[in-house]
Amino acid sequence: MAALVRRRAEQRALRRAADGQRTEYLAFSLAGEIYAVEIHSINEILKPPPITEVPRAEPSVIGVVSVRGRLVTVIDLRKRFGVQDAAIGHLTRILLVDKGDEKLGLLVDEVLQVYRLTETEIEPANVLGGDQPAHILGIGRPKDGTGRRDFGSLLVLLDLRPILEG
Amino acid sequence: MAEHGGGGRGDPGDKAREEFFSEAQELIDGLGRDLLALDAVSKGGRTDPELINDIFRAVHTLKGLAGLFGATLMSGLSHELEDVLDDLRLGRLDLTAAVLDVLFRAVELYARILAAERSDTPEEPAQEVKALLHLLGQVSQRRGGGGASPVAQYELDPGLLGVLTEYEEYRLRTNISQGVSLFRIRVQFRLDTIDSALDELKARARPHGEIITYLPTGAGGDSDSIELEILLASHAPLPVLEAALGGSYALIEEVQRRGPRSKPPPTVAPYAPEPPQPVPPGSQAPDESPEPRSTFHPGPIERPEPPAPGFPATEEDVFGAEFHTIAPTGQMPVVEPRPSAMPPMQREIPLPVVWGRETSTTSSTPSDFPPPHPPIGDVRFTHRSRATDVDDILRSIPPPPPAEKPQSYPPAAAGREMSLRSVSQTVRVDIRKLDHLMNIVGELAITRTSLAKLSDKVRLRPEMRSLANELYRLHRAFERNLAQMQNGILEVRMVPLGQAFDKLARIVRQISREHDKQVNLVVTGAETEIDKLIVEELSDPLMHMIRNAIDHGIEQREERERVGKPTVGTIALNAFQKGNHVVIEVEDDGAGMNTQVLLASAVRRGLLTREQAAELLPHEILGLVFLPGFTTRGEATDLSGRGVGMDIVKTNISRMGGIIDISSEVGIGTKMTITLPITLAVISVLVIEIAGRTYAIPLASVEEAIVFDEREVRAVEEREVMNQRGRTLPICRLWKLFGHAPLEPLEPTKNEKRFVVIAAVGNRKLGFVVDRLVGQQDIVIKALGKSLARVRGFAGATELGDQRVALVLDVAALVEEVLSGDGERLLEGRGERNEGRALETRTEGKLGDGRARA
Repeated sequence: MAALVRRRAEQRALRRAADGQRTEYLAFSLAGEIYAVEIHSINEILKPPPITEVPRAEPSVIGVVSVRGRLVTVIDLRKRFGVQDAAIGHLTRILLVDKGDEKLGLLVDEVLQVYRLTETEIEPANVLGGDQPAHILGIGRPKDGTGRRDFGSLLVLLDLRPILEG
Repeated sequence: MAEHGGGGRGDPGDKAREEFFSEAQELIDGLGRDLLALDAVSKGGRTDPELINDIFRAVHTLKGLAGLFGATLMSGLSHELEDVLDDLRLGRLDLTAAVLDVLFRAVELYARILAAERSDTPEEPAQEVKALLHLLGQVSQRRGGGGASPVAQYELDPGLLGVLTEYEEYRLRTNISQGVSLFRIRVQFRLDTIDSALDELKARARPHGEIITYLPTGAGGDSDSIELEILLASHAPLPVLEAALGGSYALIEEVQRRGPRSKPPPTVAPYAPEPPQPVPPGSQAPDESPEPRSTFHPGPIERPEPPAPGFPATEEDVFGAEFHTIAPTGQMPVVEPRPSAMPPMQREIPLPVVWGRETSTTSSTPSDFPPPHPPIGDVRFTHRSRATDVDDILRSIPPPPPAEKPQSYPPAAAGREMSLRSVSQTVRVDIRKLDHLMNIVGELAITRTSLAKLSDKVRLRPEMRSLANELYRLHRAFERNLAQMQNGILEVRMVPLGQAFDKLARIVRQISREHDKQVNLVVTGAETEIDKLIVEELSDPLMHMIRNAIDHGIEQREERERVGKPTVGTIALNAFQKGNHVVIEVEDDGAGMNTQVLLASAVRRGLLTREQAAELLPHEILGLVFLPGFTTRGEATDLSGRGVGMDIVKTNISRMGGIIDISSEVGIGTKMTITLPITLAVISVLVIEIAGRTYAIPLASVEEAIVFDEREVRAVEEREVMNQRGRTLPICRLWKLFGHAPLEPLEPTKNEKRFVVIAAVGNRKLGFVVDRLVGQQDIVIKALGKSLARVRGFAGATELGDQRVALVLDVAALVEEVLSGDGERLLEGRGERNEGRALETRTEGKLGDGRARA
């Protein structure tokens, strides 16, 4: 019995070594594109509570919400990326992330799924050509269950830090 | 366990460090208070040895703490200070103004070291410490005290003299050389209340003199009481002392001077048999009490020998430490408590020994003494049992005859047990934890609202009536408990304003010395309680106001004499509660503020045009001092004008939701009045609506709300104003300021009205035009996140129930922005250093400042 368990574990380890390190990404849609961020950077996914607008804040700040008694500033990622507005729909979610010692909410159109990507499934950002914004880490091309390329999913992998600082 | 959201750092090291900081801070604060008291006493030409002792102890404790936490600067400084203080105690050093100054500087430096330790830059004040140590070295050029002992002139028991500590001996000598009379007081104490009773007696004796030492007489004791002989030095005549110490339990007599033929006191061993001293009238001579009836509590006793009055002993004896080493001598009656009859607990009872009985007039009944207090860890005791003292005593005492050796206690165990026990029944709490609790209570308040709605809904259904009633009752109970909880947490956050005032007293002393002005600070209402965070935030503004009062307000001595004022100026610091607010007044009897000078200065500095100046009302002119960059001085003095002005004071006060007013009369004085909410955590707000959005305005800054009449609006210099009972009131349409969509026109048919909420900040007023008044509400205010720090005009936000968040207006900032738009433009154009800094600070002032950090 124990030998069997050990063999299984060894096989798993071998497979992982072959694949390279896997990292989990949460994919979400925004203005028709699919983006993904490392799942560790997301604290929570919220259904948007009523958002209170903050006059005179910068345009990408959509307002503040209360998350269990804590005020959270919500940022509209569309506006950060310079794409058009969209109304808050029933699929709209807020991703709760840390910025220093405060929490921020990122408004996204729809949360899709979690991808586990190996290094081989990530293309560097420069495939898109010359100068890419600092917040784009690369392009994720996850394989589907059968091991083939899943061309339906093309993920723009985001580095949240530059976005939050902006 | 208690991992609190947000700032929960569970590291025990951090926690211990926090403890260290708060304990050290307390000690430093206390040190400052004691020094002030010492300063006051020494001005009267006296020294207060008790105070010096207290200061010594505080420094000693600080040294220990610092050593424990590796704060080397602090322990080094403490070590040197301790030496100086010890010299002061023992009279090797005189308490001069220079010495006091060094001590005050040390307190200042301690505070800075602590701050540096906290920010992990412990090396920062190193230079200053070095400088101070150098100074310490200079002042502590020890001067030899003493000389021939005048003590010999007194009828004092040589046995007593032999066991005086160095310090007590010094005090005795000092008092005698100053011609102070000595008194011997015999008092009976109940053993179980001896600590508190002794303290009470000391307190009563203190105004009249100084207690040099106290020793058990070995007389008058019974199973649970003991008689002490107290040596008191006092200027007061006997009747006065009797009246002061009075009561039936004390017997006071003056210690007589010896006749000329008297020998000086021998330097014999303290326990050499001496003829009994004259006993107080009415008391029986010791030898004549052959049948002592004393019993030792609780066990059976052995029959004690005749008593020996004036039995030399020290405090240690009284409290039980080292007792066994002293008691058993040939002459001394010793009772050996039977171990079986002596439960371990009772080892703490001092004096398991009874000296013989002595009937005396000092009749005592238990009711003469205050009820027993919980054990008090006597700091003095700890200090007095330092090894040196004990060693001295040990050396002076012959070893006990083995035969009579009592069942001895572990050395000093009883005493140490007492002093180890914690004095305090309190718990120090990080205020962030309270904030966290407050937030949870806020959450519960929201639950309560939902519960109320649900309860109402259920009540509408007839078939659920009984359920509805039950729900209603539950809801009411919940509401009650919640309110109590909220109050409870608020109460915990409250601290007396005295915490801030104590520090100010030190500042006053320092500044008035620097400036060669004599100033008397009179404080009332120091016990007024206010939120801890406000007290902290208040320190700096108050300090600046007091600096201002001394620098600009109080005149030079000659000037005061010329106008017939007392040469010593007075600054009054008054605090009192007024509803949900605390009012603090800083009042001086100085020169007052001359409106003409203020105006001229403001015009000269370009803060106002001549035309504007001509239009200002008197109280508006006084308000000019709050403008950034305002000063009446050509040059910044070393006191005020350090780059922070009254504008910062005002900004800081406004940030806490407070307002500040000035009233002044030329030649009479100036009064600044600060009105602050009692707490930052819960404030009363007026909930309003603008363009469909809900906002909250702190009631603290709302004067009134009146119906808005569009037809009354006039434009003055492109600014909208309206008439408020004959006074011109500038108004602000918040929808414009906030960039909301224009308001829809009112439909008079529906009886629709808009309102003007009149906000008053200091002397300035502004009317906010709002769509609807929703009502008044007590809210928990929360800071906006850092990413909104640059957004001006909001003090924070709050939840209104039903998950909605409403922004709380920062009225002070808005009024400033709307009314002084011109002034600010002027300043920005000129970019003077001070003003630039002032503006910067002001902007920072709008940040969340973490007052409601969760």
